[in-house]
Amino acid sequence: MGARSVMRDGALSRRRLLGLALLVPAGAAAGGGSLSACTVGTPRSGPDPLTALAEKARSDAALAAAVLAAAPDLADRVEPVRAARAEHAAALDAEIARLGPSRAPSVPGATASPRAATAPTPATLKDALDGSAREAQDLVGGLPARRVGLVGSVAACCTAYASMLAAP
Amino acid sequence: MTTPPGATSSVDAVAADALQNALATEHAALWVYSLIIAFLPAGQATRARADLEAHRMLRGQVEQTLTDIGARPVSAQPAYATPQPVTDARSAGNVAVTAETDALRAWRAVLEHTADVLLRKAALQALTEGTLRCARWRTTTDQSPAIPTFPGAP
Repeated sequence: MGARSVMRDGALSRRRLLGLALLVPAGAAAGGGSLSACTVGTPRSGPDPLTALAEKARSDAALAAAVLAAAPDLADRVEPVRAARAEHAAALDAEIARLGPSRAPSVPGATASPRAATAPTPATLKDALDGSAREAQDLVGGLPARRVGLVGSVAACCTAYASMLAAP
Repeated sequence: MTTPPGATSSVDAVAADALQNALATEHAALWVYSLIIAFLPAGQATRARADLEAHRMLRGQVEQTLTDIGARPVSAQPAYATPQPVTDARSAGNVAVTAETDALRAWRAVLEHTADVLLRKAALQALTEGTLRCARWRTTTDQSPAIPTFPGAP
């Protein structure tokens, strides 16, 4: 179906497309609000916007490992989270590296948040994943095409794990 | 199609083609769920009906969007080939995983083929909701990890 010309008119019904956005069951983009301010595909100076996502992935993986250390019987539910977030971190790092060291983070180590003295629970992990999903969702409107698929997949995966951890 | 600088048009032919492809996978998913319900135990059949309803709603929205931008939405095929014959609950669950996985790929591709912020939001929501459906069927069929790590990745 690739070659068929499907367009008669380049202008889109914004109202209808908004309808598409709103009628898909809510949840994924509900935390947004910053999307309209983005300019798609415009390179920015400063730190790579994916750096914060990679740091979140690493900190979620570490948090999952801490939950596991405190409650090894939760391995079936929590180990897949740890593994997935570690893979997300690696994929995001690779994409950041693709654009070269000039876009390396300017504030090294700025993301590590102090951990509570008490052992983290699955609920803590769920909240962290919700936050990570929101952060990825907020970037989706403004990323270049080459990156938006990866970040969208990371967002969808985090939402699914958060939902899984919320289930009894 | 190239858009002149400053134009407000946002869904171009490339994005429309990606939407058509997503619509084709929605048609296929609807066919699959209609097929498998008879093979599933009651609880899973209820879930399949809910998933079918979700795809039906999505299909309607995509068709309307395509129509509104002057494209003719692709039609469903009369039937689809399943990778394995559907003969029992297990093979029924497997084909649901296949249909959801195909749809996830198509929705991620929509994300990658449009710069329109609203369409990207819609595609991300479809990707997110589809990931949950896919994960439930992967759980049912003992596939690991249940939740795909990069949903929709080619």
